[in-house]
Amino acid sequence: MRTSLLLIPLLPLAGALLNMLLGSRLPRRLSELVACGVIWASFGATVLAALQYSQPVIIEAAPWLAAFDLRAPFSFSLDPLSLSLCLMITFVCGLIHLYSVAYMADDPGHVRYFALLNLFVAAMLVLVLAESLPLLYLGWEGVGFCSYALIGFWYREEKNATAGRKAFIVTRIGDTAFAIAIIWLFSLTGSVSISQLNQAGATLPLATVTALGLLLLIGATGKSAQLPLSVWLPDAMAGPTPVSAQIHAATMVTAGVYLLMRLFPLIGRSGTVLAAIAIVGGITAFHAATCALAQRDLKRILAYSTISQIGYMMLGVGAGAITAASFHLLVHAFFKALLFLGAGCVITALHHEQDIFRMGGLRRSLPATFWPFLAGSVCLAGIPLTGGFFSKDSILAAVWQHGGPLYLSLYGLGLLTALLTSLYTFRMIYLVFCGSGPTPHRLSPLMERSLLPLALLGLCGGLLNLPEYLGHGLLARFLAPLVVEPHALSSATELALQGVAALLSLLGLGLAHQRYGGARRAQRLQEAAQPARGLQAFCLHGWYLDWLYERLFVRPYHWLSRTLWQQVDEGWIDGNLDRFANLLGRLGQRLGSWGTGRLSHYLLSLAAGAALLIAWLAWGTP
Amino acid sequence: MNAAQLLFYLLATVTVLATLFAITEKHPVHAIVYLVTSFFALAAIFFLLAAPLIAIFEVIIYAGAVMVLFMFVIMMLDLGRPEQVSRPGLLHWLPAITLSATILAALATLLEVRTGSSATLHQIGVKTFCVTLFRGYGLAIEIISLQLLFAVVGALYLGRRRRS
Amino acid sequence: MIVPLEQVLLLAGLLFGLGLICVLVWRSNVIMLLIGIEIMLNAAMLVFVAASNHWGAADGQVFALMIIAMTSAEVSLALALVVYLHRRRNTVAVDEFRELHD
Repeated sequence: MRTSLLLIPLLPLAGALLNMLLGSRLPRRLSELVACGVIWASFGATVLAALQYSQPVIIEAAPWLAAFDLRAPFSFSLDPLSLSLCLMITFVCGLIHLYSVAYMADDPGHVRYFALLNLFVAAMLVLVLAESLPLLYLGWEGVGFCSYALIGFWYREEKNATAGRKAFIVTRIGDTAFAIAIIWLFSLTGSVSISQLNQAGATLPLATVTALGLLLLIGATGKSAQLPLSVWLPDAMAGPTPVSAQIHAATMVTAGVYLLMRLFPLIGRSGTVLAAIAIVGGITAFHAATCALAQRDLKRILAYSTISQIGYMMLGVGAGAITAASFHLLVHAFFKALLFLGAGCVITALHHEQDIFRMGGLRRSLPATFWPFLAGSVCLAGIPLTGGFFSKDSILAAVWQHGGPLYLSLYGLGLLTALLTSLYTFRMIYLVFCGSGPTPHRLSPLMERSLLPLALLGLCGGLLNLPEYLGHGLLARFLAPLVVEPHALSSATELALQGVAALLSLLGLGLAHQRYGGARRAQRLQEAAQPARGLQAFCLHGWYLDWLYERLFVRPYHWLSRTLWQQVDEGWIDGNLDRFANLLGRLGQRLGSWGTGRLSHYLLSLAAGAALLIAWLAWGTP
Repeated sequence: MNAAQLLFYLLATVTVLATLFAITEKHPVHAIVYLVTSFFALAAIFFLLAAPLIAIFEVIIYAGAVMVLFMFVIMMLDLGRPEQVSRPGLLHWLPAITLSATILAALATLLEVRTGSSATLHQIGVKTFCVTLFRGYGLAIEIISLQLLFAVVGALYLGRRRRS
Repeated sequence: MIVPLEQVLLLAGLLFGLGLICVLVWRSNVIMLLIGIEIMLNAAMLVFVAASNHWGAADGQVFALMIIAMTSAEVSLALALVVYLHRRRNTVAVDEFRELHD
């Protein structure tokens, strides 16, 4: 158990190190093999650990930070939540690595790419398995760095590097709040171990718990791209598509939600925090759904969709339904990674064309991509009986059950967002795959085949946690020792809620067909040729958040730094030093001109000096 | 006040006046003569101060040899008609007088008035002088003689005429 | 002593001041410069003799003799220099010789 647990994060780390140090000397196939191999080996170790699992276990691998009162060793904990997440992460990332081999087949920088990808998986696993908060923070920062490096992978183009920088800086804001929370927790309780903190949470006053919870929420919004820190994720699509699939769909962006779930016993006591989490999640879900409806870039639609779905997960956490949130997390990882990989296939096949209004007819020309993509889309839209349907519905049911005016209005918002989700998903399908369009290139079979397992998992993911009337959910039972679940709903209420959700998703499908299907598609293509105006422009530019932040923060900061540079540093400090040096120079020159070479001047100076000295002796000293 | 004191004040006045005329003379030969007068008076003061040997040396060596040497050089140099040479103007006198006055004033401030004076000594004769000189300052004598040697050699070198 | 030591010292100071004036004023004639130096040295000699008289020891007088000897040496060299320089430039103004300046 100990070995397999430790191997889980160490194998990808070893792969990263190997590629970093020796990758350029190994043949290409070998380094790719190593990179993929370690991930699948880590998956094997996870399966092994799962088979051996009987109860939550904490393993301390090695000492790390130990000074004064602070004890933060390399300790890993395996409990149902982390185990399920590890299984998902290693499996999905393994598939994405295989996909990357084909996707990046023409790229010369494969060593850097695979090293970073492996390092990312290692950091994510450390984050998930960490038992002490500093170790979690280490993984947190590790994924942040790898995200930055991978978004800006093709850094020779400036916009890619800028996108990477933007991601890093925006998430940094969240990281700072998280770090403050860690330090505050340490000063309050003297411990940074998650298990101890969760237990000590009962002893802290409620106001402190609320403040801590809000700080952790800010940290989570940064990493998970929720409002107000969601602006980095759409731009992060500048990275390679497998990177978007891995980091910005399946793993890194869920880290924020995972953090809140991990520390739920600590912060869950405060109703204010839960309400804040729910509000953030709900509003973000709605915001992102409206933006996704207006986007033209295929990957940006999927990015906004990710933001929206994570909003759902936050909403679930805010309603106290950890099982529902983690259910949605797992299933979302499957179908979102699938959608991104499918988008990668489409983009590569159409020679890096990303505008959906220039695509079309791929249903017949790329069938092996179309069907899995469709499977992912129906999961996303929440069509009945898919995995996405059950997971999204369980969150909405939990919100409904929580009751109270706030949560009921959030429930309504969630329903509206579900409708919009279905709408934009099928808009995407109709525009990309239906009608007629340019002929695509041939795709590598590896790329298309890796889509299949994810499609199956997405569709059948509902089996993970079937609702009450169909049998007790597997996931609920698995996570039961960890979380305190709200009471189960009666079967009738549950069926009714599911019926409403199903209706809305089908309504969305109908509306999309109405607007984008068949003959109307050509009309829409013509309309798309004109620039966006009004509400469409508002949604296209993400509710003008970037513009707002630019005006509010970026420009004053630039002005301040330019002023400090030119006025203070160069003008005042350097200027004063220059003036002082000039003064000394001129002074030296004037003094130097005293030596005229004339004896009479020297005699006069001698006599004057003597007079001065004697006068001082006579009258100067006391 | 007895005769010796009166004599001292008289000689002091002569010394100062003679020096004053010496420095304000524009004709160098006149200035030398005034200076010799000043040295004579100074030698008499030395005599009053119980230093007869030094007084004699002052007259013989200083006034007799050094000043005469000055005279020789002035006459040899043919400095032109001294009456036409411009005397230094007030601009030159003022800083000099100021500095001198400062030093003098400071000196005067620094001098403490001691009560009483020691008893009048008999003259320090040749024997006492020589005993002190040769017993205590033998090394100084050697060094001074070396210095005189340097001076002779230097003067000879500087003064030789080149074959042109 | 026939007069208090302070008065002799005052006289010596006066002579020294006069010698200093002579040195500082006469920059057009190096001979007068040397004369000023002579006066100052004499003033110093007076101080030594007065001190010797005050303490009753012959050491001051010995040093006065040293001064005389040193002055002789210095004057001979200085005048040899003056003659030499006069031969070269035909002037005795001290300010004319400025070659050592940068």
